[in-house]
Amino acid sequence: MERITIKDAVSLINNGDMVSFSGFTIWRRPMAIVYEMVRQQKRNLHIADVNGGTHSEILVGAGCVGIWESCWSGHELYGKLGEMVADRHLNGGMIIEDYSHGHMVARLLAGAWGLPFMPSAMSLGTDILNPDYDGFNKAGLRDGSHPSIPSKKYDIISDPFFGSGDILLLPAINPDWAIVYASQAGEEGTIRVNAQTYLDAELIKCAEKVIVVAEEIVPETYLRQDPKHNIAAGYAIDYLVELPWAAHPTGSQGYYDVDGDFIKAFYQASKAQSTFDKWADEWIFGLADHQAYLEKLGITRLEKLRANNALGYSKRTKRGTR
Amino acid sequence: MSDKNHLVKPGEYRPIDLLAVAASREVRDGDVIFAGTGLPMLAIMLAQNTHAPKATCIYEAGTIDGKPIDLPTSVGDARCGYQASIISGLIETFFGQLHCGYIDTAFLGGAEIDQYGNVNTTVIGDYNAPEKRLTGSGGNPDINGLARRTVFIMVQEKRRFKENVDYITSPGWRVRKWPGGEYVHKKEVYGKYFRGGPEAVITNMGVFRFDENGVMYLDTVHPGFTVEQVKDNVSFDLNISRVRGETELPTKREIELLYNVVDPEGIFLT
Repeated sequence: MERITIKDAVSLINNGDMVSFSGFTIWRRPMAIVYEMVRQQKRNLHIADVNGGTHSEILVGAGCVGIWESCWSGHELYGKLGEMVADRHLNGGMIIEDYSHGHMVARLLAGAWGLPFMPSAMSLGTDILNPDYDGFNKAGLRDGSHPSIPSKKYDIISDPFFGSGDILLLPAINPDWAIVYASQAGEEGTIRVNAQTYLDAELIKCAEKVIVVAEEIVPETYLRQDPKHNIAAGYAIDYLVELPWAAHPTGSQGYYDVDGDFIKAFYQASKAQSTFDKWADEWIFGLADHQAYLEKLGITRLEKLRANNALGYSKRTKRGTR
Repeated sequence: MSDKNHLVKPGEYRPIDLLAVAASREVRDGDVIFAGTGLPMLAIMLAQNTHAPKATCIYEAGTIDGKPIDLPTSVGDARCGYQASIISGLIETFFGQLHCGYIDTAFLGGAEIDQYGNVNTTVIGDYNAPEKRLTGSGGNPDINGLARRTVFIMVQEKRRFKENVDYITSPGWRVRKWPGGEYVHKKEVYGKYFRGGPEAVITNMGVFRFDENGVMYLDTVHPGFTVEQVKDNVSFDLNISRVRGETELPTKREIELLYNVVDPEGIFLT
């Protein structure tokens, strides 16, 4: 495990690499790394995500993504649709491969456990399995010559052991990079998250290389006093960056809430490429680094988002109309 | 106190209130429920505060039987985990709870539904040249496919209630058997994993259920709407021969709970 700056970490990601992100929709996304990826103008990335969110909408809008494999894109309550994925689906410019959420879990789990595929009965009978809608096949990429693209979207076999009927097989995902936001990392790289673990532990295991951006680096002895909350050992982590507020505008349980107003404003901007570009100029290209981003957000805004110590989320944000 | 159980009068509630209340009445005490974001959350929390205190709620991001004291805005929210029995992740919820068969009831939404209960949240039009791209499946088809029963909560519009959806994101009673794509009963595709399917669809105009052949029929009409109005907002030939009458109005207590306990901040009940 190597301590590294965010700029150096992101410079290791090559155009065309396959990447997966930690978190869940608008929670615990490694946003500071996403912004830096946009700043360094990564191109033709292959995103294979358990689910999409604000992070992937930004990368797609900024022209960083060539392939998007996932199950959902949006911003939860703060933006109904993933407008950028939707735009590429309607107007081209990106290969889209739709699986279900459970399928993506199964595929990343297979990758994490070193298996070529995972059996599942999830989302049988749906058009997700319609061969006419196979994005990689349409693009002529299922010829076996692309290491990250399986030769079939799925297979259905008959249970060879108990004769229980048909079962779906889903191909493993082993991305080049897992890009992970963690609540805390130890000095030797032990990783802790504060709440729902989502698929973060498996993501770390399935990837060739792992970059973790941690809200804070803490003594290993502190994390080892209570090891049941840790999700990965240091030897699984390749690069570690410490950066407070690195998940903003997504939420980080115990540290800060989702910045709903920020995501709402982004969602509005994402409805057209021209407004997206203006947004990206203001919030990414116009800012040198994460420090400048935090300064632009300002202390008042960040203090409102700061989590209540007992509850793990903020009681000071106005979330509704009352 | 007793008058809190009195029904409100038409005009003393908003359409979304009745939607939440009618959905909450589908929750059975003791059910293990897997719910999506939004109205499903309101329905379950309301039911837990009224007739179903022993209903358990699982959110797909990893919380099992949480007791949120502040309404979550999504299933990944920190608020979902308050006083949960287990906080876990997606392997546990999708495989350890859903796939292995613990889930009694799924509470989900959808953009379009057809007469067989197939739901579309992926595209409007042809997938290969769509008019509109929606969010995508999320966990909807996984949860709906493997729960014993599903309750869908939807907006009633003619274009949303179709003879056949443009894309089957989430399985109803008549689904497609791949690789050929022929339409068959869900049982034929799910085999030993067949546990049930869509049981009710609650909209802002009425409550729909499915007959022995897995075809949707109108069960009750919300007060203020006529059967004909509902029929006009469905684009297939809706079976109205089994209508039982009007949907029961919310009680004063249910409305109070919705606004004072479940969603006091006005997040979904804006």
